Amino acid sequence: MRDINIENYDLSVKIKEENDIVIARQMVKNMVRKMGFTLSDVTKISTAVSELARNIYRYAGEGYILLRGKQEKDGKNVGVEIVAYDRGPGIEDLDSALRDGYTTTRNSFGLGLPGVRRLMDSFSIESERGSGTIVIVSKKRRAF
Amino acid sequence: MKYCERNSGLSTVPVQIELDDSTVGALQNQILSEIQSESIDGIIIDVSMVDVIDSYISYVLSETARMARLMGCHTVMCGIKPSVALTMAQMGLRLTGIHYAQDLDHAIKILERIVGVGKQGA
Ligand SMILES: Nc1ncnc2c1ncn2[C@@H]1O[C@H](COP(=O)(O)OP(=O)(O)OP(=O)(O)O)[C@@H](O)[C@H]1O
Ligand SMILES: [Mg+2]
Repeated sequence: MRDINIENYDLSVKIKEENDIVIARQMVKNMVRKMGFTLSDVTKISTAVSELARNIYRYAGEGYILLRGKQEKDGKNVGVEIVAYDRGPGIEDLDSALRDGYTTTRNSFGLGLPGVRRLMDSFSIESERGSGTIVIVSKKRRAF
Repeated sequence: MKYCERNSGLSTVPVQIELDDSTVGALQNQILSEIQSESIDGIIIDVSMVDVIDSYISYVLSETARMARLMGCHTVMCGIKPSVALTMAQMGLRLTGIHYAQDLDHAIKILERIVGVGKQGA
């Protein structure tokens, strides 16, 4: 598993309690709104963070949501990268976890990860049994 | 002792801006106990202030509607923001057993049509 250095990010939210899910999505929402994302992209990104933060809370117990702007050469933000990182039990069957409707809990649609994948422009996931899970997603800023 | 007459058994539930996991659970309990104690035939869940509806919130709302249905009550969700609707559609979230309305008036019309609630002296 790759190493994630929290210091390389503009925002980091520790997920440990249920309420941290709301805090993470509020902080990310404010940040991407300030970065000039459209309302529908702000909503998509906040919803994706809600899913990733809940997965950390539910399956790993604790972890981080990290965010950084992706810079262009002229120094302008052109997009956002979000990392959900935990040192929990990892995902046993990654292919299944990315399928619509797959869940290991009761009372769930099993649409979190596949939903996040559809909401964002890029999606990558790395997971190792016993070591944890890293999900990295990004979205470009669009004018409309 | 007075008999409870069953007329216009309709209840509106406005949902606050930030739905966290325990709030959504409490909302479900509140709705179900209201249906039971006040003989309600129609519930309107107003989500016009809600910025994020994710898979867990969707699941609980959908489950609430299914339980309400078993108790003889119909559920209408109204006022969903366009950006929230777009996000839910892209995620593939489908809430079964729930009716959708544009606003409160529309929700009441839908309920009137389905169960005749809200019609005084009908
Ligand atoms: N950070 C994680 N650590 C360990 N396992 C995870 C993690 N995230 C997801 N999983 C596993 O992958 C499965 C699929 O996750 P996904 O978010 O798609 O659905 P869900 O959480 O089960 O349901 P929903 O998100 O719709 O409420 C989970 O049921 C869980 O077993
Ligand atoms: Mg999930």
